[in-house]
Formats: sequence, C-alpha cells, structure tokens
Amino acid sequence: MKNTLKIQRAIKNSTQADLAEAIGVSRQTINSMELAKYIPSTALALKIARYFGKPVEEIFELEPGD
Amino acid sequence: MKTRFLFPHSYRRIGWLLFVPFLVFGLAVLNHDFQVDFLEISFGQSPLPGTFESIFSVNTINLSDEIATLGMILSLLFIAFSKEKIEDERVAQIRLDSLHFAVYLNYAVLAIQVIFVHGTAFLDVMVYNMFSVLLLFIIRYRVVFNLENKA
Repeated sequence: MKNTLKIQRAIKNSTQADLAEAIGVSRQTINSMELAKYIPSTALALKIARYFGKPVEEIFELEPGD
Repeated sequence: MKTRFLFPHSYRRIGWLLFVPFLVFGLAVLNHDFQVDFLEISFGQSPLPGTFESIFSVNTINLSDEIATLGMILSLLFIAFSKEKIEDERVAQIRLDSLHFAVYLNYAVLAIQVIFVHGTAFLDVMVYNMFSVLLLFIIRYRVVFNLENKA
C-alpha cells in the first residue's frame, strides 16, 4: 500500500510528532507508515484522513499485489 | 486499539530489579543445590530413622526452588508484558509478531533437545524450558522495538 503522508504533512506544514500526537500514536509509528513498513488499521487511517481533512483514498492507495 | 492485560509501564523496571536476583538465586538452586534454611517446612511426624518409612516418606521440603521459580516467572512476565510509554497498534503488532516468533523458536529448540538430550539431563531441559518462551519473546521484542525506534 502506498501513501502520501509525507506530502500531506508538507502541505499542512506539520511534523511527524504533531501528527503522532493528534492521532494518539508514537512518532515511530508515523515514520514506519511513511516508509511503508507499517500499514495502519482502518480506524487509524480514518483518523489520519480526518486530521488532514481529506478522504482516505487521497492519502492511502492500494498497490498491485495488495 | 488497546492491548488488554498489560502491566503499567513502570513494571518493566520492577521486573528487571526482581529478575537479576532471582536469576542468580535460581541458578544457584539448580546447579549448586543451594537452599535457604528458613525456607524449610516440615509437616507430620518424622518416621524413626532406619525404618522402611524413613526412606520413602517426605515430610520436610525446602521452598527455595519454588520461590526461585515463582520469582523468575513473575519478573519475566513483568518485563515481557508491561506497556510502552506510548502504546499504539504498531507496538501491539510487534508484540504479537514477537510472541509468534518466540513460540516457534522455543518449540524448534525443544524438539532438537528432545532428540539429543536423554535421561535425567532432560529434566534440566524442562526446567530451562519453563522460562525460555518468555526470554525469547523479550529478546525478539526488544530488538525489533529498539531498531524501529532508532529510525
């Protein structure tokens, strides 16, 4: 699964720590997601979408093989 | 997502503080027949020495090994299953993966020991096996957790 977390953060001008605190996870979890090493649960993906004010599909995208 | 049945974060330190002395105590009991005298309890009346009963009946036991075992179990559980400072779903994932890994590796090692260790020496294998799942879990979990947190 691909995601645009880093881009969304840049647009909103927020750090990994800001995002982490807003959605109640550790900064390392944000980092793992940005590196596509960790796929968040639906609940977490929805929280992230809400934080950026965008639909989930704009942030997370399935890759071939998923 | 909340992981249930975890100890508070501070219990990890308590776990380590208990683990070190209990490990030393446990190894001394296991390998050097070390016993603490005041942990000896008797019940019933001792049969007269030299009689048939005196050879087979057990009416004093020393609780050193029981205390060592319980102490090891408790301290390892504290270390293994205390919360992180920030508990989130990725931590729960690492924990689950590590538990899975530890159970597999533990039984793989046990299977090898079943094949190669025989007789009374196998009793030692079983004693170590009481703690090895938790030990393997702790090692795997800490390594992965620390590696990911460096990133």
